Amino acid sequence: MDLRSLPPEIEKAHDNFAGLIDACTDLDAVLRLKGAYLGREDSFAAKMMDILKASPKEQKKELGVVINVLKNQWEEAIKSRQSALEEVRRQRTAKSLVWDVTLPPPLPSKGVLHPLTRLIDRLVDVFRPLGYHVEEGPEAETEANNFDGLNIPEDHPARGSADTFYFQKYPNLLLRTHTSPVQVRVIKRLAPVIEQKGGIRFLAPGRVYRKDEIDPTHSPMFHQVEGMLVGRGIGMHHLKGTLDYAMKALFGSGADIRFRPSYFPFVEPGCEVDVRCPLCGGTGCRVCKSSGWVEILGAGLVHPNVLKFAGIEPDVWSGFAFGMGVERIAMMVSQTPDLRLFFENDQRFLAAVGGMD
Amino acid sequence: MRIELEALQREIPVIAGISTHDLCEYLAMIGFPVDSTDTQSAAAVLDVDVTANRGDALSHRGLARDLAAKLDAPLSAISVTPNTENEALLSVRLETDSCPIYSTAMLKLDCTSANQTPADAQTFLTAMGSNAKGLAPVDASNELLYRYGHPTHAFDAAKLKGGVCVRWAKAGETLLTLDGVQRNLDTKDMVIADDSGPIALAGVIGGDSTKVTENTKRVFLESAYFEPQTVRASARRHGLHTDASIRFGRGADTAFVKTARDLLVDRLISWAGAELLGAWTVGQRDSKPSGTVISKNVLDRVAGESILLDEAKAILLRLGCRVESFGSGLNVQPPSWRHDLSIAEDYAEDILRIRGYGHIGTALPSLEGAPEPLPHSYQQRRTLSRRLTQLGFFQTVTLGFISPEADAKYAGDSQESRTLLNPLGLEYSVMRGSLLSSLWDAAEANQRHGAKDIRLFEIAPIYKSASDGPNETSVLGIVWAGSIGGEDPLTPVRPVMTADLIAIARDLGFTGDLKVVDLAQSAFGLEIPLSKLAEPTEKVIPTFRPFSRYPMVTRDLSLLVPLELSYGELESSIKSAMESAPLQNIKCVDVFKDSKLIAEGKQAWLIRLKFQSFERTLTGQEVESWVQTAVNAAKPHGGVLRG
Repeated sequence: MDLRSLPPEIEKAHDNFAGLIDACTDLDAVLRLKGAYLGREDSFAAKMMDILKASPKEQKKELGVVINVLKNQWEEAIKSRQSALEEVRRQRTAKSLVWDVTLPPPLPSKGVLHPLTRLIDRLVDVFRPLGYHVEEGPEAETEANNFDGLNIPEDHPARGSADTFYFQKYPNLLLRTHTSPVQVRVIKRLAPVIEQKGGIRFLAPGRVYRKDEIDPTHSPMFHQVEGMLVGRGIGMHHLKGTLDYAMKALFGSGADIRFRPSYFPFVEPGCEVDVRCPLCGGTGCRVCKSSGWVEILGAGLVHPNVLKFAGIEPDVWSGFAFGMGVERIAMMVSQTPDLRLFFENDQRFLAAVGGMD
Repeated sequence: MRIELEALQREIPVIAGISTHDLCEYLAMIGFPVDSTDTQSAAAVLDVDVTANRGDALSHRGLARDLAAKLDAPLSAISVTPNTENEALLSVRLETDSCPIYSTAMLKLDCTSANQTPADAQTFLTAMGSNAKGLAPVDASNELLYRYGHPTHAFDAAKLKGGVCVRWAKAGETLLTLDGVQRNLDTKDMVIADDSGPIALAGVIGGDSTKVTENTKRVFLESAYFEPQTVRASARRHGLHTDASIRFGRGADTAFVKTARDLLVDRLISWAGAELLGAWTVGQRDSKPSGTVISKNVLDRVAGESILLDEAKAILLRLGCRVESFGSGLNVQPPSWRHDLSIAEDYAEDILRIRGYGHIGTALPSLEGAPEPLPHSYQQRRTLSRRLTQLGFFQTVTLGFISPEADAKYAGDSQESRTLLNPLGLEYSVMRGSLLSSLWDAAEANQRHGAKDIRLFEIAPIYKSASDGPNETSVLGIVWAGSIGGEDPLTPVRPVMTADLIAIARDLGFTGDLKVVDLAQSAFGLEIPLSKLAEPTEKVIPTFRPFSRYPMVTRDLSLLVPLELSYGELESSIKSAMESAPLQNIKCVDVFKDSKLIAEGKQAWLIRLKFQSFERTLTGQEVESWVQTAVNAAKPHGGVLRG
């Protein structure tokens, strides 16, 4: 093509065009270049049109052809560059829309239940299929419910102010030292309707208080879960069968139990219950002090005096009761070395031993 | 209680053939778990746990009796020379029924030899954790106590003024006891007294004025039975829990009173060359306790299986009971040393104990009545705490009592009826009237450990003063402090705001007036009584509510409003202006307060309106007219459409 009929300025622009279009790395640059070459005003195309207008008539046709060819070349090149860059942009956008699944997922942060609550709730779940419901009582109890109704003699050392917290203004009111007063409340309440109900069975979880200084194994406040069943012809084998089921449900099928004779004023016979060490399976470890067994709870058949106190005829009805220390079991299972950690509520500790269920 | 293996063997020789490990197992299986064994020292010693009802087992002989019953093996005979009862050498009067029998002897001591206690007795006393004094009457009395469980005492007879009586202390009387403490006696204290006044606190401790020393030439011995309640009360009153008071307090053996005296006499003669001047006893042991009927029914019910009456009888005989059989049961009298056997269940326990609790079978009791549902309060706590953990909160457990100052910060009612009489200290003296103080303490501790986002909650009772005592109500306490967000790349970090706590309360179904407590910068607390939270619906699935099957039309409205305008006000104005329109939902979905884009004193709200009819598809035209109604309703509040 002969460009000599055009001014050198245009010739030079055309020579530069290929380099300029290659140098455009984004769509804006392409648009700017398009403006400079093909824009309506001040562009090379506009200048060429001016030249065409001013040229003599006989040259017009030839010049027109040259100009058109030039403009078409430019337009084609710009269009192709544009679509190439648009494709790059599309690809880039597509990439940015893909979420890296290995990044932290956009979920709300998680909290945890306190390990003691979890254990209590688990115990409730364990006993639920046996027909136990939940009963609760106040922490501020009467001496009658906390001691008298449980066959605890009037001069029992546990009643002393060295062991039990009393209220300043109400000498007969104390902070319950165990969850057993819930037994007294419930059997008193249900005594008149025990025939219709066909018996009593419940769990009583709760907070209890004893006058112990705070140290790695003692706390003046801790949790117990009490269980009670009253029925007809209840014996030690029923207690054993129930606890055997419960411990296996809690710790797994290897969790055998054994009874050892013991004494609590509100049961007769009384026993302490050991479970085959859930940590070593009975082969001996630090937790079970190499014995293969860990003491897990106290239990026994409800003392006839306790039933009588509540107005239930012990010749017709008998029952069993058991009580366990929640912290003790939680410490054993989690191997937490210091009881105080359960009450300090350090989020790091809770995150480690708590959970969500 | 410390038990020396060799001394135990002396009482029950058969255990010589049993390993220490097996012996410990046997002891545990009959109710005496061994806490520790010390086989390192000269004498092997077991630390045995004895329950409070078994005072009779607080000695080598006592434990041996139970072991003998368990192993069906004989006990050694007690080597003692019985003394004939002589005329009293000194007047002894029992002025109270709380001391039914008092056996004594007077001996002349040859006090020339300095250390009268034999080496083996000294070793034994050391193993018991009690140092030998080198004085025969004292050491022999202690040795007998650990060996046979019956406390005895020796007075320096030369220091007695006149006769001796056992009586109640008189008001104002005092006694300097052996531990060097001057004690003010109570009229409920039983004492041994001579003409000068009290010389011993009966069953608890001797007096200093009559104590045996290396110069003692004559001793007056005491072997008696003191009533348990009286001894326990005195021990507690004076804070004196001695070897003697623990044993008398749980019940001594009236039948052993004379034997214990005779054993002490024997020792004084053989250890110190003492000469017996006379032995005599005042009072007599209790009449035989009444028998208990054990029916086979009760025994079988407790055991969970049929127990042969012959087997039961054999076990009870081995335990020292008197037993008579009759058709359907046994008539039993306990041995004189057992004070814990009175009802049939007590005997049933002993029969099972000696048979072995391992023989008890397993069975699940049948369910007679229908089970009850879990109580609402428990279910509510359970649901609430799970929801809160989903919202990122950590459940805490804090002590129920706090200091009066900490309580006063958030509780606001009188502490009088919530205060403990005998707290562990002032900081644990008030049953808290609010959970916030404890929760904020825990939050601050977490902050000190570097936590940035602290979300704690506790569900526990708080105490309010009431006329008849403290009133407990279950509340939910929440503390949220620090910043929120930043867990993932899409959630920006920002400080916690009051609005966050309000959002939580609303999420949990709280509809009432909310008081968010400002605890510190970006730290807020909230307390809601559980009774104020929504009751769970009774139905498993809620009642069907019809829903529209026609399309929903959504329109967003960007309004420029004054900064001080409350959204709630505007929303209710728009709602009431559109009562006739099928407005299903109105919600502010975005708030702009950027000063660069919005005129000063103004903010922009993006309000989303959703329209839906139950009868037909809505037309664009009518929707536009309702949107205009909304814009008009905003005008009186200073709201205009944002251009």
